Amino acid sequence: MSTLETIQRMMVEQFDLKAADLTPDAQLEALGLDSLSIIEFMFNIEDEFHIKLPDERVEIKTVHDIASIVERMVTEQKAAS
Amino acid sequence: MTRRVVITGLGVVSPVGKNTTEFFDNLMAGRSGISVSRASFADKLSIRISAQVRDYNPADHFSKIKLTGIERFSQFALIAAEQAVKDAQLLLSEQELHRAGVYMGSGMGGATTLEEGYVEIFQRENPRIKPLSVLLGMNNAAASHLSLAYHLQGPNVTFATACASSAIAIGEAYRKIKDGYADVMLAGGSESLLTQGIIKAWEALRTLAREDEHDPAASCKPFAKDRSGLVLGEGAAVLVLEDAERAVKRGAHIYAEIAGYDCSSDASHISKPDYVGQTRAILGALHNAEMDPQDIHYINAHGTATLAGDIEETKAIKQSMGDHAYRVPVTSTKSMHGHLMGATGAVEFIAAVLALEHQAIPPTINLHQPDPECDLDYVPNVGRRGVELNAVMSNSFAFGGTNAVLIARRFEK
Repeated sequence: MSTLETIQRMMVEQFDLKAADLTPDAQLEALGLDSLSIIEFMFNIEDEFHIKLPDERVEIKTVHDIASIVERMVTEQKAAS
Repeated sequence: MTRRVVITGLGVVSPVGKNTTEFFDNLMAGRSGISVSRASFADKLSIRISAQVRDYNPADHFSKIKLTGIERFSQFALIAAEQAVKDAQLLLSEQELHRAGVYMGSGMGGATTLEEGYVEIFQRENPRIKPLSVLLGMNNAAASHLSLAYHLQGPNVTFATACASSAIAIGEAYRKIKDGYADVMLAGGSESLLTQGIIKAWEALRTLAREDEHDPAASCKPFAKDRSGLVLGEGAAVLVLEDAERAVKRGAHIYAEIAGYDCSSDASHISKPDYVGQTRAILGALHNAEMDPQDIHYINAHGTATLAGDIEETKAIKQSMGDHAYRVPVTSTKSMHGHLMGATGAVEFIAAVLALEHQAIPPTINLHQPDPECDLDYVPNVGRRGVELNAVMSNSFAFGGTNAVLIARRFEK
């Protein structure tokens, strides 16, 4: 399963969203997520992908934004370990 | 500026009903909401009985996205508020929202979140806990969610005075409107503390009722000789309070007028109730209402069913009411819905307001063996319909020594 697919599955499970709505460019706000639910979701993302997200604020507006930060962190942190 | 304050909406989520109709029907029928806990940790408890909100599924009320940020005690508050606002048919303009607020009471706030956090850190040795733990668990979360849900931009305050929290919230909200600082207030309380750790803490304090060996539902026995303590419960209650003139003008259904309120502190012991302080609160509320003892036709007692508490309250009623104490019906509905701590004052005040509305007095159940030291008319076991009630009183006496008394009477223009 690709990173994007895993994220989509997690969003369906955690938020009851429809898989069809979770296109890469779907705006999280338009899906009904606010900044707090995104924080909670990113916390679960860290567990799922065994990564640590950066402390500085990262702009996350779309489903694709989540996938790209996850992929970046997986690569960086794999290289570091 | 002093104005009259009326009640135009009621909402309740309780162990004996998740709306006001079900709630009052069950109280009148003497049905108990107390049962043996079905929680996963029940086998680790010495006292397994509690009063849980039954058949509650958060998904029936909130989306999964919303539930990420709303704790169980805030969920209860939001559901009760939704009922109350709908009941009051409340519609507020942008301008009016600036003068509308929310006062809530809670003893333990987001106890579930706090305990889940501790389990993660100390038991599972997880170095981190949910990022929203603070926002879920804070004591004022419920009130703030009500403010957000209804865009209430006036005062937003949470009171933490243990068992008197929500009675104080209602009383102070009444004063806020009476004194002209607000026109509409949501007021009440919410509590959800039936977690393993908190029940254990209460067990250790030795104030919880023993499980009745024949019928666990009958374990809470206020004013009875065989009473053995209180039963912990959960739930929420919210009232819509409104400036009387405003309510009349918009043709709202008016349940009752809040006629009087007072609070006092025992200043004598952290947990032992004291009839002297309680008496002062009762007399203060009567004075505030400009009423005499004989004007009170029903008292919803604090009546926790602890050995000392019921005797002290009986003494306080006698001390403040004289001969009328023996004539006025006094009931403890805690015998059915348990002790909802920070929410209990609001739940019981709603019971008293509904008694006024329906001219019917709910019973004190499980009262088969009278205690000679508790010798008032506690309406044992069977409710009374067709009574004539003009004004009712609700007592809330807390650990810490805070006493709060509310008086409601039928509204006359």
